[in-house]
Amino acid sequence: MLIRAVAISVGIAVLAGCAAPTRYIDPAADDGPVAMTMDYRDFEKAATDAVEDMLASGAVNNPNGGRYIMVVSRITNDTMQRIDTDQLTKKIRVALLRSGKVVTTTAVGINGAEDEMSMKARELRNSEEFDQSGVQRKGTLQAPDLSLSGKILQRNHKVGKEQQVEYYIQLSLTDLASGLAFWEGETPIIKRGSDKSVSW
Amino acid sequence: MKRIVFASMLMLGMVGCATPPETSHSLIERQELKVDPEVIYTMEVTELFQERLSQPGGGSLLQVQFAVDARSDAELAWKVTWFDDSGMKVKGVGEGYRRATLLAGQSRFFKATAPNPRVTSYQLHLREPK
Repeated sequence: MLIRAVAISVGIAVLAGCAAPTRYIDPAADDGPVAMTMDYRDFEKAATDAVEDMLASGAVNNPNGGRYIMVVSRITNDTMQRIDTDQLTKKIRVALLRSGKVVTTTAVGINGAEDEMSMKARELRNSEEFDQSGVQRKGTLQAPDLSLSGKILQRNHKVGKEQQVEYYIQLSLTDLASGLAFWEGETPIIKRGSDKSVSW
Repeated sequence: MKRIVFASMLMLGMVGCATPPETSHSLIERQELKVDPEVIYTMEVTELFQERLSQPGGGSLLQVQFAVDARSDAELAWKVTWFDDSGMKVKGVGEGYRRATLLAGQSRFFKATAPNPRVTSYQLHLREPK
């Protein structure tokens, strides 16, 4: 009995010793292996390509001066993975905000407001419980000028004994006044690896 | 005598207040192009251009383009770090290196656009991904 307990303990200790230690990864210096699924580096590449191209094209420069107001529309996930498309759009929004050219509204959205508080705060109007001087007045919300929409596609192929997974990140920036796409971009991300790797 | 010493001390003190302490200087001159030795064996940087792109509503953005000629098949990782007029780093979209694969004899051209009109200088770093 004692020998068995000692053997199990030693086994667990050895296995624990073999396990890779948990460590922090610095995104600015990550040379780690590539996954067949979409990882943070892929979203970073797509966002960088999109933002640099938007800025260079001048599409986000308001000719009347000031900043454009952008709303994030539908970004369709047509991949086999469960992707939160905010991973992509947030990077784009942050970068455009930092550029000083675009500000994003959270008061409107394809499935309702991203931040419902803009409307909730207005429900305090005429409430006797609240000091009305601090309550938002009518007609202060800003309507969007631009809409960001897109799609993430995935295609899988068998190439010899390997598997090729293609992702296409397609984005459009539509001028809401005219309905015209002021800017469009596509970032392909192609990965080839073991046929045994899973991409979903 | 005491009065002279006091007046001299007061004057020195005021001069000290009038001269702001130097806080902005770089200890070592920052290189615009930094190429790791491993990269030099397999490729050569043949061009490095920069221009300011005029924007429709006014202002301009710094854009950098560089070209690399590969002597053999190689992997390259590159990153541009942006700085404002005071030499302070300006955040870009991502922090990671961009990767590229080069075929022997191939010339490739890469471009990067500054994230903000405040950007006036940059540092381009080329390295070999592990």
